[in-house]
Amino acid sequence: MPNAIKIERFSYKYPDGTIALRDITLNIESGRRVALIGPNGAGKSTLLLAMAGFVRGEGKVIIDGLEITNANLKQVRSRIGCCLENPEDQLFMPTLFDDVAFGPLNMGLKSDEVKQRVEQALDKVGLAQMAQRAPHHLSAGQKRAAAIATVLSMSPKIITLDEPDGSLDPRNRANLVKLLADLSQTLVIASCNMNFAATVADTAVVMDAGRIIAAGPAEQIMPDSGLMLGHGLEVPSKYAPGRPGTV
Amino acid sequence: MHHAYIDKFAYQDSPVHRLDARVKFIITVVFTAIVISLPRTSVSILFCYAIGPFAVLVLGGIPPRFAFKHILLVSPFVVVLALTGPLYDRTATIVVFGPWSWQTTLGWLRCWSILGKFVLTMLALIALVSTTRFADLLAGLHRLGVPRLLVIQLGFLYRYIFLLIDSAQHILRARAARSVGRVCFRDGFKFTAAMLGSLFVRSVDSAGRINSAMQARGFEGKWRTINRLTIRRPDYIFAAVSLCFTLGLYLFVRPVLG
Repeated sequence: MPNAIKIERFSYKYPDGTIALRDITLNIESGRRVALIGPNGAGKSTLLLAMAGFVRGEGKVIIDGLEITNANLKQVRSRIGCCLENPEDQLFMPTLFDDVAFGPLNMGLKSDEVKQRVEQALDKVGLAQMAQRAPHHLSAGQKRAAAIATVLSMSPKIITLDEPDGSLDPRNRANLVKLLADLSQTLVIASCNMNFAATVADTAVVMDAGRIIAAGPAEQIMPDSGLMLGHGLEVPSKYAPGRPGTV
Repeated sequence: MHHAYIDKFAYQDSPVHRLDARVKFIITVVFTAIVISLPRTSVSILFCYAIGPFAVLVLGGIPPRFAFKHILLVSPFVVVLALTGPLYDRTATIVVFGPWSWQTTLGWLRCWSILGKFVLTMLALIALVSTTRFADLLAGLHRLGVPRLLVIQLGFLYRYIFLLIDSAQHILRARAARSVGRVCFRDGFKFTAAMLGSLFVRSVDSAGRINSAMQARGFEGKWRTINRLTIRRPDYIFAAVSLCFTLGLYLFVRPVLG
């Protein structure tokens, strides 16, 4: 399978000199569902920002065959959709319809096609009846689904999600799992919730202190208690028979 | 967190809700301008003008209690201003209202005039925002020629003011949870300053993230939206009736009532 994302020896320092990402090399094949797991401060969110060209450091980041440069940022961002950690930041328009239409309108699409895409995206996340609602009238679960709709309407090939299960109750989390399972795009999901990550991902990438520690099939990486516990993580209940746990 | 949203009734469906935002906005502006321009001694005509916004509230299914609650919230400044009238203008005058008449001062007339105009213009404003979705209002303002930048700013204000209020409430709650006994004025002042600083920093951070979210969806500085406003026959009828009512009272009834 071709690579959806290819990162070669990428490093990034914050303006204060703190090293956020060190020598990251990662290949993600098209259609994969990748969980970026690691303790707080491991660099997961920064790596997601680097994939969308918001963070520029040393090394190469290639998205769907395009190496990110200043000249092709618009093209890159039409191929990779980012869902930020806090959906309040993602939903900035007065209505949900306007929010979901924002991306397609910026892509220069005609009104009819934009409306069609908005309807499809909202239908996909189960919010078709909420199109004219203001985002602050939505529940936490609906906001999360709405944030995903804002990128779905742009029909990206890759979607990155930063802690998408954060502050969701079990029912909303289960809805999110179902929604993610229905998506055909390449998914890169940063999460600290191992049970959630194990449920939605087929590939796991363990990060710690700005480095990639291990990467491979989720069923090989996540049951490794030495690896997981050694980096402040836990073995998901799916891979630890007898231990109770929920997604 | 639950807010007493000022637009909590804007998502209802009624004949008034279905009217075009531009028409409602223009009528509100005309109504407000005329009410404000009434002479300070014209108090009795204000009762006639009250019919307009009340009719819109009733037709739109907005409880008058909701409107008066919001008027009370913003009334202190206007009440203080109005009450200064009787203090410095004690010129005696006689008020005639139909078959009744009584003696008062110009200061009191001015006071009632200010209060009456305030209540009426606030009622009109509440009737507008309670029967019009804010997004439609913004789209209407843009179509009426209001600069795009201002419309965008209003949109962001509407979207994020509630989050800012939430943040402030969380900070106040955290403070209350750790406050034992009375807090002296100086400490209270220091806390308020720290809270404002914290809110400012959070707002700046949030603005950065929102900017990233916009850029991630291809924003390059040009704001694009889909037009969803259309003026139809009911809008023309509403505009005609409203203008006849507002101007008719001013031109024909005010000279009679004084």
